[in-house]
Amino acid sequence: MNRRLFLGQSAALFGTSVGINKLALASSTTKAQVVIVGAGYGGATAAKYIRMLSNNSIAVTLIEPNADFISCPLSNLVVGGEEKIGALTTSYNGLPDKYGVNMIKDMVTAVDTGKKTVTTAGGNTVAYDKLILAPGITMNMASIEGLAQANADGVTLQAWKAGPETVALHQQIADMPDGGIVALTIPLAPYRCPPGPYERTCQIANYLKNNKPKSKIVVFDSNDDVTSKGKLFKQAWADMYEGYIDYRPAHKVVAVDGKTRTLKFEFEDDFKADVLNVIPTMGAGSLVVDSGIANMNNRWAEVDFLNFESTQAKDVHVIGDSIQVAPGMPKSGHMANQHAKVAAAAIVAELNDFPVNPQPVVTNTCYSFVNDRDVVHVASVHQYNPEQKTFLSVKGAGGLSPEPSQIEGIYAWGWAKNIWFDTVG
Amino acid sequence: MYVTRKAVGFIVASGALWMGANAGALANDLSAERVYHLSLAATCANCHGTNGVSVAGNRMPKINELTHDQIAQMLRQYKSGEKTGTIMPQLAKGYTEEQIDIIAKVLGHN
Repeated sequence: MNRRLFLGQSAALFGTSVGINKLALASSTTKAQVVIVGAGYGGATAAKYIRMLSNNSIAVTLIEPNADFISCPLSNLVVGGEEKIGALTTSYNGLPDKYGVNMIKDMVTAVDTGKKTVTTAGGNTVAYDKLILAPGITMNMASIEGLAQANADGVTLQAWKAGPETVALHQQIADMPDGGIVALTIPLAPYRCPPGPYERTCQIANYLKNNKPKSKIVVFDSNDDVTSKGKLFKQAWADMYEGYIDYRPAHKVVAVDGKTRTLKFEFEDDFKADVLNVIPTMGAGSLVVDSGIANMNNRWAEVDFLNFESTQAKDVHVIGDSIQVAPGMPKSGHMANQHAKVAAAAIVAELNDFPVNPQPVVTNTCYSFVNDRDVVHVASVHQYNPEQKTFLSVKGAGGLSPEPSQIEGIYAWGWAKNIWFDTVG
Repeated sequence: MYVTRKAVGFIVASGALWMGANAGALANDLSAERVYHLSLAATCANCHGTNGVSVAGNRMPKINELTHDQIAQMLRQYKSGEKTGTIMPQLAKGYTEEQIDIIAKVLGHN
């Protein structure tokens, strides 16, 4: 590319640059305050990058109820017994210690967009100039009759938010007699982590094959087919787990009888299993819904993709799984981290009266383990399209692995270590 | 496009600061370009680490050990299909030439 042209475009995009910290001059006594709700892949990354990109000139308060960061990506390895949950757990200490983020261990229960404050379960009220909501997803337990009670009783597990249920699901499978049946139910898309249920199928089948060879996993998918990496997963199932996996597409669970461990379907016969991993449909985090910001069917939050500001409330930004995604954009931890960087840059720019980048780009990379070491990936690149005001997948970019490989397993762990560091380190 | 000498001068000077301090150049003055450039290069950080610095003991390729020119060349080779790999050929095809230049400038060293 012609360098002069590049420089000229860059200058035109951003106008006259400011070589000094305007914010620091303008608010030497009061720093701008950004409050972030939720310290997952989205919220924690936003906190770190707002501090980094603003040269620490913006104060960031990050409110999160959990003590540590636990990764959902790779948590299927815990379900299948190949890893312990501790291997996926990272302390939040780097955010306050290295980046000066003010972390509050609490749960935000309400947002007042008029007064620009959030209220917590612990009784704190925190004022913001800019608010980022990154609460992840809410599992819609009410969508399946009897599920809320069955899950509360531990008869069924969702194990989709990594944590105690992830560990409990592995324990239930480990405690099951050989010859038992594990049932996994998959909700209609969109849900968090499109390939996740199929990777989980591999990991559970891998465990059964090695430890309980008379057992099997029956997968009831509400969707008409495998929603991600379909050819690769089906090939892995055929090559590695013949006789261990019974995949039934277009099966929608409508009720659970916890007493008899029975699933009931829209059309098909009831099904009884020893272990029930029932994953219901999902929507935006309840705070987003309760605040009236989930303005897409009361389920997801529509945002302006240039800065991830809610189309419903000024100075409220939503990132991660809670948003109404752009076409072809998955709900993933990697993507939430990428949302966070676009939002962080835009917020730093806005608070400094800089122009916001008019053409952001985000990527997605998702690795799935088909056994204890071999991995397949899907990747994509999404450039902002100013005419359509959304991110569009770049044609010719992205793609899948040709086949499972050990080198991608090594890269998957490399990705994990680096993104955990990039998010909370 | 006409570029004034003053505008070029500012951006070149700004770029020199970046290059001199590599990706960890966070003590530099805040500017629109800096926010844009760092946030664009941060799209690589998910896999390659913050500012391109990989976590110790990690086998992910260490891009911060490359020069600006090496990064730009590799990304262009992945983009054109000249260089093969697992994920990078697929991702590089999604970036524009301008974005590749900026990323190479931020993450590489002199």
